[in-house]
Amino acid sequence: MHENEHIKRLLSAIALNNDQTACKELFLLLHSRLKQFAYSILKSGEEAEELVSDVFIRIWQKRDQLTTIESPLFYFYTTTKNLSLNRLKKQKRQVSLSAEDWLVQMNSIYFDPEQLMMTEEIMRQIKKAVNDLPSRCRLIFKLIKEDGLKYKEVADLLQLSVKTIEAQMAIALRRISKCMHFDIKNSLYTGIKK
Amino acid sequence: MSQEIFWVLLSKKLSGEASPAELKDLENLVLEHAEWQYAIQNLEDLWKQQPPKDDMQAEDAYMLHLHRMKEMNIAFGDMPEPLPAIIGKNRIRKWYWAAAASIAFALGLFAFNKFFNNNSEKTLVAREVNEISTRQGSKTKVELPDGSVVWLNAGSKLTYNKEYGQQLREVTLTGEGYFDVVKMKEKPFIIHTSNINIKVLGTVFNVTAYPEDKQTETSLIHGSIEVTIKNRPNNKIILSPNEKLVVYNEPGENGNTHLKEKEIPEKIPLVAIKQLTYQNNDTIAVEAAWIRDKLSFKNELFADVAKKMERWYDVTFEFENKRKENLLMYGTFTTETVEEALAALEFSFGFRYKIEHKKVTIY
Repeated sequence: MHENEHIKRLLSAIALNNDQTACKELFLLLHSRLKQFAYSILKSGEEAEELVSDVFIRIWQKRDQLTTIESPLFYFYTTTKNLSLNRLKKQKRQVSLSAEDWLVQMNSIYFDPEQLMMTEEIMRQIKKAVNDLPSRCRLIFKLIKEDGLKYKEVADLLQLSVKTIEAQMAIALRRISKCMHFDIKNSLYTGIKK
Repeated sequence: MSQEIFWVLLSKKLSGEASPAELKDLENLVLEHAEWQYAIQNLEDLWKQQPPKDDMQAEDAYMLHLHRMKEMNIAFGDMPEPLPAIIGKNRIRKWYWAAAASIAFALGLFAFNKFFNNNSEKTLVAREVNEISTRQGSKTKVELPDGSVVWLNAGSKLTYNKEYGQQLREVTLTGEGYFDVVKMKEKPFIIHTSNINIKVLGTVFNVTAYPEDKQTETSLIHGSIEVTIKNRPNNKIILSPNEKLVVYNEPGENGNTHLKEKEIPEKIPLVAIKQLTYQNNDTIAVEAAWIRDKLSFKNELFADVAKKMERWYDVTFEFENKRKENLLMYGTFTTETVEEALAALEFSFGFRYKIEHKKVTIY
């Protein structure tokens, strides 16, 4: 995922040169998704904002060790999750990941006629279909499509099985395809060997 | 083997998770169905789309973050200048719902006699025709001579003439009205809007027919109604409760329509029957929430939400960043001011705004 490559370069610059510009760029890149993630756990905008700041403080303090992470986005989401759950614990609130209260704004589904052979109306329906997905399904879809996490990483992050991730992704994809009037019928299945 | 396998395989392929064996399985499947190629190609293109880079909200958050680190005495190279006065802690707004009970309906009832006797500036244009209209930002409730009640939303107009109730009960509506019609079998209640006529015997429903909108919507709550579309007089549509009828305005019918001829895709009918939308625990449909003083929208484009907000709050919206028109939003507002509503939406949905007098600009 080329975004992960970009992030790794930023982390190198930060670790080797204390590069302030890279710090800011990293922050701007990650802020909104980490904040949404934290917000979904903490249920408070103000706390989510502080939490994201805490995550970045931690990144700064550990910058030397971060140059070797393979999957930085997974690392950042995991840190966000752990810090959020810790915070809940300290506040003596229930420590759990909600099933369906995730705030998930997807940004990569928009109408660009130069890149897509689809009408604006179909894109609208696709956006609506994505927004109508149950929130955890949409979260999984976003983590995989936009953030490039692996199935195993998402399973780990959300405390689910990989099979669940596979099934949720299948659901999301099928609903999107329906908007494009693409669905398959029952008569198929001879070709697949188990 | 179920169809789900196909979708599992395809999604694994798109996300780079498929094993070589799985890729082969998928390939074999697809070979048997050349007609899927086009759709699969579209999905692959869709998958490759990257999100756009702008995030202006994060700039503010970054400044606050630096400030916070300074307060915590964490060494961080060259610190920035002291924060400009505008950006302070209160820029991080809370997500909140107003607590209070809803505001009582504006403006009360108007009985038939009062139209002639009272000289209220809201009503009575000419003696032959009774006209009730509402400005932007206000709503009203009207009682018709037969006891039927109409709630009129902001920016709407209802008219009826002195023959009302003799053989028919006819009214004309522009804008949005919620109707509670008294049952009178022998005197059908008929609503005329620019696109459709609705005939009712006795029932509760909502009609949205703003001339500047792309469509006319009729939502049925109780009872049953028959809708006739003006340019298709032989098409009568009967709605059941919890259904709504959406009629897309044809181009050229009113000067304000945005829908151009070539934008109407073939697969979308000009008339569609849909289910009413209910928010999680509400007993009132989103389409009719406005009579309870709730501004409600679920999965709607910002462009459409903006139109609703313009009427509700009596403001105007301008999108300087056209892309934001396509943000999907959901929300419910009751007694919030427009600033409070915008702040709550900004937090969740990622845009910036400026409000000056009654003009809202979106970035």
